[in-house]
Amino acid sequence: MGPVELLHMSVFSQTFSPCGRFLAAGNNYGEIAVFSLSAALSPDATGMSQKPILTFAAHEGPVFSLISTDTHLLSAGNGEISAWSWAELTKRSTKALWTRRPNYKTSLEIPEINAMIVNSKDNSLIVGGGDNNIHIMDMETGTFKSVLQGHKDYIHCLSFREREGELLSGGEDGAVRIWGELIAHQCLQKSLLVSVTYLGECTRPQFGKWIGCLTTDSDWMLCGGGPALSLWHLRSMSPTSVFSLAGCQREAVFYQDLILTVGEGPYVSHCVPGGTVKAQIPSSSPSLNTLTLNLNSNEHRVMTTAGSSDQIDVFTNFSYRAFSLSF
Amino acid sequence: MSTDPLKKRKTKVIRGDGGTPETKRIRGDADQDVRVYNEEVELEGRDTEQDYILYKSTCEAVAKLMAEIQDLKASGAKEGSMEVEERRRRGSVHFIALKKLNRMAHMRLKKARDQTHEAKQRVDVLHLQLQNLLYEVLHLQKEIGKCLEFRSQHEEIELVSVDEFFQEAPAEISRPHLTKEDPHQLTLARLDWELEQRKRLAEQYKSSLCTKEKILKGIEMKKEYLNSLQPGLQAIMQASLPVQEYLSMPFERVQKQAEVARHLPPPLYVLLVQASAYGQACDTNLSVSISGDVDEAKALSRPPEDSQDDESDSDAEEEQQNTKRRRATVGVQLDDKRKEMLKRHPLSLCIELNCKDGSILHLFFYYLMNLNILTVKVKVSASADLSGAISAGELLNPESLLNCLYASDHGQETPNPANRYQFDKVGIVSFADYVAELGHPYVWVQSLGGLHFSSDSPQVEGPHSSLSASHMESTMKLLRGRLQARLALHKQFSSLEHSIVPVSNECQHLFPAKVVSRLAHWTMMSYEEFLASRCTQVILCLFYWRPLWVSARLQAAVVLNPRYPEITPLFSLSLLWKGERSGRTDDNLRAMESEVNVFRSELQGPRPGLQLLTNQMQRLCVCLDVYLETESQVCDGSEGPREFPREKMCLRTARGPNRLKPFKYNHPQGFFSHR
Repeated sequence: MGPVELLHMSVFSQTFSPCGRFLAAGNNYGEIAVFSLSAALSPDATGMSQKPILTFAAHEGPVFSLISTDTHLLSAGNGEISAWSWAELTKRSTKALWTRRPNYKTSLEIPEINAMIVNSKDNSLIVGGGDNNIHIMDMETGTFKSVLQGHKDYIHCLSFREREGELLSGGEDGAVRIWGELIAHQCLQKSLLVSVTYLGECTRPQFGKWIGCLTTDSDWMLCGGGPALSLWHLRSMSPTSVFSLAGCQREAVFYQDLILTVGEGPYVSHCVPGGTVKAQIPSSSPSLNTLTLNLNSNEHRVMTTAGSSDQIDVFTNFSYRAFSLSF
Repeated sequence: MSTDPLKKRKTKVIRGDGGTPETKRIRGDADQDVRVYNEEVELEGRDTEQDYILYKSTCEAVAKLMAEIQDLKASGAKEGSMEVEERRRRGSVHFIALKKLNRMAHMRLKKARDQTHEAKQRVDVLHLQLQNLLYEVLHLQKEIGKCLEFRSQHEEIELVSVDEFFQEAPAEISRPHLTKEDPHQLTLARLDWELEQRKRLAEQYKSSLCTKEKILKGIEMKKEYLNSLQPGLQAIMQASLPVQEYLSMPFERVQKQAEVARHLPPPLYVLLVQASAYGQACDTNLSVSISGDVDEAKALSRPPEDSQDDESDSDAEEEQQNTKRRRATVGVQLDDKRKEMLKRHPLSLCIELNCKDGSILHLFFYYLMNLNILTVKVKVSASADLSGAISAGELLNPESLLNCLYASDHGQETPNPANRYQFDKVGIVSFADYVAELGHPYVWVQSLGGLHFSSDSPQVEGPHSSLSASHMESTMKLLRGRLQARLALHKQFSSLEHSIVPVSNECQHLFPAKVVSRLAHWTMMSYEEFLASRCTQVILCLFYWRPLWVSARLQAAVVLNPRYPEITPLFSLSLLWKGERSGRTDDNLRAMESEVNVFRSELQGPRPGLQLLTNQMQRLCVCLDVYLETESQVCDGSEGPREFPREKMCLRTARGPNRLKPFKYNHPQGFFSHR
């Protein structure tokens, strides 16, 4: 990686290991880097501990999505999903356990995979990406069980409502679809379309109508992107508050009483569900793509954000940036 | 008594000592009736034990008699009574006996003493004889030892071994029948033989000496003859000059150059040799020549005695002059010292590199004597007219043409660490001030001259020709490459100033047939302006700036490294269209920047990659086209006619979380896709 390549690197995805001591991040060159969080957070950390312990080329295209199961790291590249064992990765072995490809119809261009979610109830992996469809793969057998069609443009984000077992998906066409009872039934798709663009408060036509981020808390849903970030009550399907943030938001999470969100603009926004933006914490990248919280470990409970630079900011206290890891 | 024995008829008792009994006896024999009484003889007959007992009894008897007399006298006997008298008589007889016994004792003692004495004397004599004999024995032993150790001189002569001797020596000398038995004769024979041989060899030696002298004389004569040839040959060489010119075999010139080269300082000499060698072997477009004042160079290398005399004379003169006129100020003195320190050697090398298109790069190499470094000045004679481009003025500037030929070799500071100390003495703060006048001391120039300065110690060894040789080829290639790159850039700049992006035929496949964006403006910018502009990105040297398009203007700041095209020029973009966006704020502009900055291998075109800049600019135009054509937002919220009609074929207009546009052009299908 020369300095020019590092200059033009963007980090799109991150996830923590099941033990909470390692962080994996994927960039636009198709590389995944594994950082040792325990080394970087220890009192005698040096400059070297902020470098990855392992960097390897995982896919040909950018790695837009990374998720972690109990033992595996799943990464999504150009239309393919690869699995890596966390135990092997910490031993610096970079052999993929398996690589699967959903059935795509188009052959000229390979669609990307933008979002992946694991449904722990029936052990299936749900992916959504560039071919406007949601594919569901059974983790045991590795076959793709079903395809959910409905979106008119590619899918940006997925979210899962644990209690009801429903899947939410947001896409470039501006629609948020709720899919229920999808698990074993191929045909029974009850999809409810929530068209966010029709509501005047959230729409921002200068940015477009695409839904970039989606997260749900079973009762509440946050969605944003082109339209402003808004908090919706799912039972009544109506927005309760709209957050006035300048850029388009790319990721939002619920954390205790706060809503943490990142997007265009070099800061992490802390918002209150009431609708006010409480704080904007500066970060080192000019715009941020991903935000994750390390809830797997008690002693390394940090928040990390990354975006259009090669730096991953680590926030030990969520109010300020402690240090940055770099690719 | 003895004189008249005849007269006396009395019986005489002749008592004599042991020594004279015979004589007495003889005289006694002449007398008749002489009884000889020898007490010594009697003495031998008596027993000492008996004498002792007799003595004791006599003493007792005397004592008894005395006691009797005492008794008698005590009992009133008269004086002169018969018993007393008798006892007295007896006592006197006993006294006489005692006296005799005493005499006996003395005589025995004397006899014993005499015997001992005699024996002792005998023993002494023998002892003395023994000593004498022992001494003689010792003496003889020593003599024998000396005789045995005697080394005669003849043994120091190295003789040939016995076998060789018998083999070589003629029979009359070796006489084997005699010498085989007798070692003495053998040695004699061997000595004879040795003598003869040595005499013979001495003769030989004398004769060889004579021949050697004769030969030496012969050599001397031949040398003189050869020396006399030299002037003749010179005349012939002069006469043959026109012939050489006619046949284009410049022996004379080469020889003259070699002659002058002898006066070059060592680094320049190394450079000359290596450059000529390289020119002859690999690169016929390279020519080397020496210029400068040879006499001054000769003056520099004059032996020190002469110069010392001169110095002392000149010192004396100077002193006189100083008293006459005012002494120069300290500043002027310092200035003189500086000039002295920075003095150049009078001879310099000129290397000319001819390129294929007819342009020539002239390199002038100078040697700074006191600082022990080489510097270079450069001049370009281009084949084409170079006056066209205004922005390209800096490209072929001799001051900066050779900057950074190798990475970070700016040529502003001297590479010799020892110079620091020299500069401190004369108050030179930085060498950069003198670079314009003296030339650039690049590190590769030092390497070409075989000078190597290690950063650890200020010591430098003499110039190494191996160092020069290893750098020569790469440096010459780099120099050629640099000249060609700069000339190509110059041409490109003059074209760019006329708002045309010159794309060569070989690179047409990188771009679609129709490109709507145009280059509008191309100017120079200084580095400070570049840093101050909002599209700030990092890094290095030259600086250009131009916007394109009419209703949407893309401003790009380009940073060019002197080592172009090895180092890719970097573009930093900002778009003025419905507000200002830059590569920092807009992900798509950042993607456009990466499209031109990162993919050098696609853009550099055929070797040597001189099309890099123009290809980058053409690609930027293409990306701008794609960007504007795929923007679908319209301000008033309704889907109206697009401002920029879609002419490029794209499969998808947005992809990924940050919705990037398709900037990658696929040839020959002609559509745009995402990376």
